[in-house]
Amino acid sequence: MTNKKIGIKIFKYVVVVLILAYTIALLIMTGGSNKPFKEVTKGVESVVDQEKLNKVETQSLKRYYGLNGSDYDGVTLYISTTSMSAEELLLIKAKSEEQVAAIRDAIEERRDTRRQDFEGYAPDEVDLIDSSILQVRGKYVFFVVSKEAAKYKEAFTSSL
Amino acid sequence: MLFSSITFLFIFLPITLVLYYIVPDKFRNYILLITSLFFYAWGEPVYIVLMILSILFNYACGLDIGNHADDPVMAKRGIISAVVVNLAILGFFKYYGFLIGSINAILPFDIPYRELSLPIGISFYTFQAMSYVIDVYRKKVQPQKSLISFAVYVSMFPQLIAGPIVRYADIEKQLRNRSIGINKFGDGIFFFIRGLAKKVILANTVGAIYTTISGLDFGTYSVLTAWIGCAAYTFQIYFDFGGYSDMAIGLGKMFGFEFLKNFDYPYTALSITDFWRRWHISLSTWFREYVYIPLGGNRKGKRRTMINIMIVWGLTGLWHGAAWNFLAWGLYYGIFLLLEKFVYGRYIEKLPKVLRHIYTLVLVMVGWVFFSSASLADAVRYIGIMFGIGAKGLIDSQALYYFGTNWLLFIVCAIASTSFGMYLLNRVLYNSKNGVGRREIACIVYVLMFLLSLTFLITATYNPFLYFRF
Repeated sequence: MTNKKIGIKIFKYVVVVLILAYTIALLIMTGGSNKPFKEVTKGVESVVDQEKLNKVETQSLKRYYGLNGSDYDGVTLYISTTSMSAEELLLIKAKSEEQVAAIRDAIEERRDTRRQDFEGYAPDEVDLIDSSILQVRGKYVFFVVSKEAAKYKEAFTSSL
Repeated sequence: MLFSSITFLFIFLPITLVLYYIVPDKFRNYILLITSLFFYAWGEPVYIVLMILSILFNYACGLDIGNHADDPVMAKRGIISAVVVNLAILGFFKYYGFLIGSINAILPFDIPYRELSLPIGISFYTFQAMSYVIDVYRKKVQPQKSLISFAVYVSMFPQLIAGPIVRYADIEKQLRNRSIGINKFGDGIFFFIRGLAKKVILANTVGAIYTTISGLDFGTYSVLTAWIGCAAYTFQIYFDFGGYSDMAIGLGKMFGFEFLKNFDYPYTALSITDFWRRWHISLSTWFREYVYIPLGGNRKGKRRTMINIMIVWGLTGLWHGAAWNFLAWGLYYGIFLLLEKFVYGRYIEKLPKVLRHIYTLVLVMVGWVFFSSASLADAVRYIGIMFGIGAKGLIDSQALYYFGTNWLLFIVCAIASTSFGMYLLNRVLYNSKNGVGRREIACIVYVLMFLLSLTFLITATYNPFLYFRF
């Protein structure tokens, strides 16, 4: 066997190893979980500042995001206790990939609307919206606008 | 990025076409590859790496198998490893969550697992790559020495996310050398606009009816409402999928490629066998070439043929999505194909055409319920209502409302899903006496069709992508 032929064989095996490594990295960094929604919500809620954020009914998802709360496996929505703040937190467990895509679109739209709402008179809130975190882990979609967004995100990922 | 999006139509496509046509011939594959990777990364920034690794792996496999063309044992090892790795990637990303979820459903405890989202288009590009390595092994094609050409074959954006599944053998020469010209380009634009109109004007509009009806509570359906919902989905899936295929074929032509047709008026079929000769032709061809025939096809006796058909249709179902309803949908067709082949096929051929159409359409529509439902249980319940079981009467005011407000749309869809729709269009575009095309009229008609599609695209909020699970 020539060196070139051996080289191709080695290259093939190297790519298989890379695929394996990449898949493991994906599982660690982007994988969702089959943990019950209640359990994940509990993990997130343990760090939520209840003075700033107020838990609202699932039906409110329609009002704020244009989505039907009953379509999903679970919905937790926190909205700021004051209308002068853009802070909010959303956690949804979708049933399918299609739903995940639709939720992402709704969140992007909500983010644009909120930016327009605060533009011109509350630059700090606009900055907060611009630094919001949207994360999709499997069928879990997490969105947070908060000064403590990083802390909430950490709570979400560790509760998966 | 969707073909039916403003970003694609007014930014991505024009820039790609300009770049493609201003560079010398030898750089066109580079442009196509770079833009295709960008197109995929737009929607799947994480999974672009997986696709690139898949390309590298299959490229190396092709060369490796080609290197052992005169050593059957080594070549066989090469093809087995190629197929196993491809199926392992597809199996893991598409089916592992379904598998563990199904096991968890019967166990008294849950096996914890990390769920990954499904990479868009993985079934399409994996099947394309597999067709390449298998054909290299079968010595039907030569291994592709150019990594760029091979990467273009796998990742080409026109057919990347919703097909058709292009076999390497059909496109090998075009990857090296393809003709481009004003007529072919114009033909491509016409194909694309027809596809866009099918998707945006017809599929999205009729799909909105289905979405409304499918959102109703089960207890509120009358038989007629259930059938109207089912008919709406029947048209939506055809115009959506067929529209995407037309857009892919049209885009291919704009870049000098010729893809085979993927749909051939499937709702005019006279039997289920005929339907599957006309629906998603590239997938049926793939399964016939790479699964059914290698399993022995119909050459090993009646019993084995029946088993082979059920295996192929079970796999066809699962290819469309990792869920029990998709498996049921595939097996449902397997059963009717067997019945037509071995039990009553010759009898239905003697029936009047109208009865054969009704027979086929009813079975196809019932089949779409398995396909479109959220679960197998929902599908069974919905089908029950279509036949009166658990229905709120035969006809109610709700059904009459849906019928009264949408009957014209259904008639337009029915005409457009037959060759009569194309015949009407051609009557306008071609002189019926000498067959010469009326260029000016064609331009006006297609510009109007495009503008109308844009209007729908801008004003309507419903523009779904149905192939997340494929």
